[in-house]
Amino acid sequence: MDEILFVSAVLAAGIRLATPIMLAALGETLGQRSGVINVGIEGIMLVGAFVAVLGAVETGSPWAGLALAMLAGAAMGAIHAYFSVVLKAEQIVAGIALLFLGIGLSGYGYRLTLGASGTAAAIPGFRPLDVLGLAGVPGIGPILFGQQALVYLTFAAAIAMAWMFSSTRLGVIVKAVGEYPAAAASAGIGVDRVRFACVSVGGALAGAGGAFLSIAHLWGFVEGMTAGRGFLAIACVVLARWSPLAAIAVALLFGIADALQIRVQSMMPGVPYQFFVIAPYLVAIAAVGIGSRTAMPAALGKPFRPGGR
Amino acid sequence: MTRLNRPEVYGIVFVVALVVGAILVAGANPFEVARAAVQRALFTRAGFLEALLRTVPLTIMGLGIALSFRAGVFNIGMDGQLIAGSALAVALAPWLPGGAAGIALFLALGIAGGAAWGGIAGLIKARLGGNEIITTIMLTYVATQLLSWLVRGPMQEKMRIIPRSDPIDAALRLPVIVEGTRIHAGFLVAVLAVVATAFVVRRGRYGFKLDVVGQNASAAAYAGMNPAAIAGMVLAVSGGFAGLAGAVEISGVYGRLQEGFAPGFGISAIAVALVVRLNPWLVPVSALGFSLLYAGLGSVAQKALVPFPLITIIEGAVVFLFLAASVMPARVPAGAKSDG
Repeated sequence: MDEILFVSAVLAAGIRLATPIMLAALGETLGQRSGVINVGIEGIMLVGAFVAVLGAVETGSPWAGLALAMLAGAAMGAIHAYFSVVLKAEQIVAGIALLFLGIGLSGYGYRLTLGASGTAAAIPGFRPLDVLGLAGVPGIGPILFGQQALVYLTFAAAIAMAWMFSSTRLGVIVKAVGEYPAAAASAGIGVDRVRFACVSVGGALAGAGGAFLSIAHLWGFVEGMTAGRGFLAIACVVLARWSPLAAIAVALLFGIADALQIRVQSMMPGVPYQFFVIAPYLVAIAAVGIGSRTAMPAALGKPFRPGGR
Repeated sequence: MTRLNRPEVYGIVFVVALVVGAILVAGANPFEVARAAVQRALFTRAGFLEALLRTVPLTIMGLGIALSFRAGVFNIGMDGQLIAGSALAVALAPWLPGGAAGIALFLALGIAGGAAWGGIAGLIKARLGGNEIITTIMLTYVATQLLSWLVRGPMQEKMRIIPRSDPIDAALRLPVIVEGTRIHAGFLVAVLAVVATAFVVRRGRYGFKLDVVGQNASAAAYAGMNPAAIAGMVLAVSGGFAGLAGAVEISGVYGRLQEGFAPGFGISAIAVALVVRLNPWLVPVSALGFSLLYAGLGSVAQKALVPFPLITIIEGAVVFLFLAASVMPARVPAGAKSDG
């Protein structure tokens, strides 16, 4: 029984810890499928995390905080899209600049607002749900019925995106733009417009991932609190071979590794805690080592120039 | 080139407006902030010396970035490589001889540690095709945690009070070269690094390989080069630069291992190198420029005019400005063309 409770607790926490990574990975999947790499989503998540807290405090509603975080994320995504799609600048470098911008804007904004007052503002965050009153059921209750509303929405978003890619015209358009931009353009599709939209929506999803961290998982903002989750999300996308559902699964792997290290850490007080904290990062490094060498969208990272280069 | 490309102008206007807007939001006057920063950085002795001191590690790391980005290898984990090099050098310092040989060995250990840490990502890249952007940043998080453990565990000072190591032997410290300041011989190390890197990039076969691999990996493969192996090696080499910067900082400034002694230098070095289009000769100029910005804004932030993260916003803005201003063919390392 103890083992079941342990596994249940680790899985429930693992899903919670994985959700910000899942949201960011879904956003990055959308952008990369359309042909644009954004290595700056860590910066977008930070901005999302900060804006969510500020929005929730100012409006008193976590949903408003989430909405504002997604708007801010979309704006950050649009900046990246402007430079990499419209100006056709080097996408990796634009992403790095976006990372700087996100770290800077979130830290700057925080110190001007919530961080300026000595006392911590009361943050109206999200509470876990109790779906059908079953969250207390031992074992599966906390995993299936006791999660945050955003967790269920994240899974719904993943399924919706998978369906979009497999069965809708919109999905075909996005894939065409990412794989055969010239063909898409000759079929009358505005390649740059589609890419701009995908990168912006992807930014909104990364912003939501940041918001989950700061108003659902924890209640509060700390500078640099994403701690590499944006980069873990990029790893998810590559390892999942650009499939939204597989990205969710890989993110879950990272989340469970994180949940496990927290549990085991408290069980082994003699071992320095730093050895546990590095676990998810080591898992990511190993996964990137094992799972690379895949077929990526053919036009990924390449700006589209009508009439060839 | 002379054609005024409108979308780029919009980009530049937006980025400038963003920085100015950020300052205005803080209730500060942008001109006042700029004046105070320039005043502190250029017209006070303390501010200027602080900037000069920071120029040394930023130059060395900027050179490492220039080498790796030229090859299309995006090493964004220099902060971790710096930690690895510093930790290795300090750990083995007690066994080093004193004097010039000891200092040289100390710096060499820094290079070795940084190269090993970068080499992990290099090996994964060369053998398994693993993306270095992810592995290098992940390795930075790992290194940060291991440093936190080292200075509280096996490498902590004998007194066991503060999380830091005991000081290294005074004979291993880089001597001060300008009387009455903290400007140390690491300056000369940085100058040597600039000349060596520039020579390799401009004339050496290695530099040629870097540029070819960076511009067209399939052409490089056709010419008998192994792009994956070169990319892996580049990660180790640029890691060596980061480790050297760390060892120089410890030998020249701090004298011991501690946490957060080169905060975000590895990330700043990216902006440093990109702005001068990865040209090694200009890296020190750019490093000095960013260091002056740091010294100036640091003092402005202390006076509570604007919060300090403005510097990071400006770094991002500068890279965006550079992107907008340069008519850069996609996926071709900047500067590769003009070097002929």
